[in-house]
Parts: sequence; structure tokens; C-alpha cells
Amino acid sequence: MLERMRSSRRVRRFTRNRLALVGLGIVWVIILTSALASVISPYDPIEHNYDEMLQPPSGRHLMGTDDLGRDILSRVLYGSRYALLIGVAVVLLELAVGASMGFIAGYFGGKVDTVIMRVVDMVLAIPTLILAIAIAGALGGGLWVMIIAIAVAGWGEFSRLVRAQVLSLKELTYVEAVRATGAGNARIIFRHILPNSMGPVLVYTTLYMPTAILWSAALSFLGLGAQPPTPEWGSIIAEGRGFISYAWWIATFPGLAIMLTTFGFNCVGDGLRDALDPRFSRNV
Amino acid sequence: MLTYIIRRLLVLIPVLIGVTLIIFSLMHLSGDPVRLMYGPNVPKEKIEEKRIELGLDKPLYAQYGNWITQILHGDFGRSIHVQDLVSNLIGARIGATLELTLVALLFTLLFSVPIGVVSAVKPYTVFDNAGRAFAIFWVSMPYFWLGLVFMLLFGVYLHWLPISGRGGPLWSIAGLRHILLPALTLGLPPLALFMRLVRSSMLEVINEDYIRTARSKGLHEGRVIFRHGLRNALIPVVTLLGLRLPWLFGGAVITETVFAWPGMGRLLVNAVMQRDYPVVQGIVLILATLVILSNLVADLVYAYLDPRIRYD
Repeated sequence: MLERMRSSRRVRRFTRNRLALVGLGIVWVIILTSALASVISPYDPIEHNYDEMLQPPSGRHLMGTDDLGRDILSRVLYGSRYALLIGVAVVLLELAVGASMGFIAGYFGGKVDTVIMRVVDMVLAIPTLILAIAIAGALGGGLWVMIIAIAVAGWGEFSRLVRAQVLSLKELTYVEAVRATGAGNARIIFRHILPNSMGPVLVYTTLYMPTAILWSAALSFLGLGAQPPTPEWGSIIAEGRGFISYAWWIATFPGLAIMLTTFGFNCVGDGLRDALDPRFSRNV
Repeated sequence: MLTYIIRRLLVLIPVLIGVTLIIFSLMHLSGDPVRLMYGPNVPKEKIEEKRIELGLDKPLYAQYGNWITQILHGDFGRSIHVQDLVSNLIGARIGATLELTLVALLFTLLFSVPIGVVSAVKPYTVFDNAGRAFAIFWVSMPYFWLGLVFMLLFGVYLHWLPISGRGGPLWSIAGLRHILLPALTLGLPPLALFMRLVRSSMLEVINEDYIRTARSKGLHEGRVIFRHGLRNALIPVVTLLGLRLPWLFGGAVITETVFAWPGMGRLLVNAVMQRDYPVVQGIVLILATLVILSNLVADLVYAYLDPRIRYD
């Protein structure tokens, strides 16, 4: 009963936050767009059309066309699929590696903790984006290589967050009480610690999605991610970069799409943080 | 304080060793470093010759040992594509990267602190709410695209500023004009982040007892805010500064590439593209060392600012 009251209060706190609702709307639109890309796109995103090269935005091509006559709007709409795929894949991989490492470190403590956290220190000492660039370059680039490179370079912060969370929960009296009743590690972990550490992890995951999308776009922009002709936003911008002085629309619209997507996720994450942790709503 | 510094330095050693291990393994990630560097079309004998020349026929631990010994002697090896020492290549560009990141950082702090303080002193006003949306907006901005938009707007259309290269030393007019756009590109997204942090940390401090005491002593409000509030509110900002520097270097790589800024970042991207792994390893190692050192400095400043934290 108390739990339900608390969760409804959280929902209310979230829905009263106008920015968070705007973000939720944006995320919803992006998800719909990626699901319906093949239906709502006016043209094929990959097929060349040499009769319509470098057309400025018009009624026929709302966002113009690129140097191969491809419709930018269609490419941007299809691009939402890649952005979501990359964001979700990176976050899942990092959760699998980073969160479990952090969990083990925090829960078991001692030498295990020291070793894992030293490894995290080492990984975090190398700027994530730079490590991701180096790994992706060594492995030869490509969509999945990039996803793995970002995940390998970035799991450290997840570990730190989860570890801190588990450490604070482990010391709480109710966990002590459960342990005193004779519950084993597995029961304590899955029934008590995991469910209670979900909140901050959820917030961080929502705030990490846009970061992963930004990084992947940067890697694709450098030519280390999705390869042409894939309609991935970062690589469309890279293609448009050479035409920036006389065909501004090629690079501009996919950039706006990236910004809108990351803005949406950031607003939702910000709202979730406020809703789940009342301490923050006063301060942040 | 001195023991604290020494202890912090000692802790750095294992981290640095770990970092070199990661960087060393980068080269072996794809299996065969020689093939990685020279591509698939080089004849077999040539590959074998190169392998022996580079010492890659020895066991891994011996290779690592050699590499580390060389690095400790300041020898980062030779570039594969340019006939030059890696240390020369980096030495010629590190200044440009530091200049860009420092100017961007200065810009970030110069604006984020005052805006953050005003948001905290007048919370939940229009100014504050706009600040929140503004912050999320900038955090969502892709660096490389922002750079392109700036180039388009201020370079191509308005012809106000040059859009590529480094014009000269920072104190010259040309130098300033050239650094403005890249520094803005690099400094604006973190500005938003710092602004929010200054605000939240300031809000927390303002509710403290000693602020109430300062007010009740009849001190001028400006003095309360800046002398008593801000000094304490800046402590978490310093920590974030240390933590966010890696992001700044990452952003610098992208920004340098967009604006053809002749720094380490651009060198890194070119080296990655050409699979010039000695150069990649050298740059990543230098950047990681810079990050570790700046974290240390942030820690020390932190201990200095907050006398309660004198870790002994």
C-alpha cells in the first residue's frame, strides 16, 4: 500500500514536470518514426537519383537531396532506426558488463572490490571517446564494431554508480535483518538489493542513452562507424560536410535530428531523476 | 598535505601501468599488428621482415617490456607513414591542443559560474527555468555538428571569422579570431553542465547555517553570496572539472578535426585512419597521462579549498 502511494507520487512528480513530458513526447515520436520509417518515408533512402542531385529543400523534397540525389528526409527518418539501435545496444552491453562488475565489487567487497575498481580507474583514465576511436580503428570500423568499441570504452562509469548504490544499500538495517533471518546471498541480491538499486540505474541509463548516441554519431562522422550508404545520422553529416558551403541542408537536418533525439532522452532522464529522488527536485 | 600528495602519487603508479597495458593491447586487438599497419597486399616476406624489425616475433611480455622501457626513455617509436619520431609529431601539436582546451575551459567557467549563481539566488524564476531547458539543450548538442553550423553561420554566410586552422599565437588578433569558433564549439556544451552544478551546489550552500549566521551579522548580501557562499559552492565544481576533462579532450579530437586545428586530436584521427599505431599509442598515452595528472590537481585543489578534507 505504502509502496503504491509512493509510486503514484513519483508518477505525479514526473508528469508535473513539463520538460520531462516534452521529452517523453519526443522519444515517443522517435520510436514511432523508426517503427514506421518504411511507411512514412517519401523516397528510398539509399537509391541514387541523378536527376535530382543537390536540390534545396522544396515541396518535393522537404529537406532537399544530397549529391547522389537521395532524399534527405527519407534518410533522416531511416536514421532514427540506427540511433535507437545503437543507443539501446550500447546501454545493454554496458549494463551487462559495467553493472555486473560494479555489483560484484560492491556486494562482495574486499580484494574483489579493490581489483575491479582499480581496473575501472584505468579504463576511466583514458578519455572514453578517444579509447572508442582507437578500438574502432584497430578493429576496422563498422556499425557493430563501433557499438562494441563504445561499450568497451564506457562501462566504467556504470560500475562506479552501481557499486556506490549497492554499498549504501548493503549497510541498511533491513538488509541486515533479512540476513539475520538466514537468507542466502542469492535471495538478498535478487529480492532486496537489485530491485532497490534500479532507480538510480534507470536514471543513469536514460541519461546515458543520449551520450551513447552522440558518441556513435561522432565516430560515424569520423568514418569509424556505420559505413555509407547506411543512412546513419553521423555519416550523413560527414557526407554533407564537403558540401556545407553550397548545400547546407545535407548536414543540417541530420544534426537537428540527433539533437532532438538526445534532447528528448535527456529531458526524460532529468525528469526521472527528479521524480525518483525528491532530494534532487529541490536542488537540481 | 605533503604526505597526502605523495600518497596520491603512489596510487597513480598502478593506474598508469594499467593504462599502458590497455594501450599496448590496442595494437594486438585485431590479431596481427603488422597486417593491421601495412594492409593485406604486402608480400609475405616483407611482412616477416617487418615483424622481426619491430620485435613482434618475440613473446608478448617481452614486447611489452621493450615498449615500456623505450617510453620511459622518452622514445615513443617511429611513425609508419611519416618518416618522423612520434615524440616529434606530438611535440609539434600538443601546444595547440592545450591552448584550445584551456581557452574553451576558461570560456566555460567564465560564463557558467555567474549564470549558475544567479539561478541559485533566484530559484524557480523564469531565468532559472530557462536555464534548465538551456542546459539540457546544450548537453544534447553534437560537437561536430555545432562546429559545422558555426562555420556555416559565421564563416560562410557572415564572413566574420575564419573557419579553419590556427592563425598564430593566442595574443595576436589572427590567433584570437581563429580560436574563437573552435573554443566556442568545445566550451558551450560543458558550460551548461557546469552552470547547473554551480546552481545546485550554491542552492545547497545557501541553506547552510553559516550563511544564515553571516546574514544575521548584517553582512551585505553580495558579500554573503560571494565570500561565504560561492567559495564553498565551488568545491564540487572543482571535482567535476577533474572528472570532465577527459570529455573535453574527447571533444577536442572532434573539434580539431572539424576546424582543421593542428593539434593532437587531428593527428590522432589521421593516425587511426592510416593505422599508424605507434602514433595512436603515443597520443592516447599522453592524453591519459594528462587526464590522470589533472585529476590529481583537482584532488589537491579540493583538499586546499575544503580544510575539512585533509586526508591523513
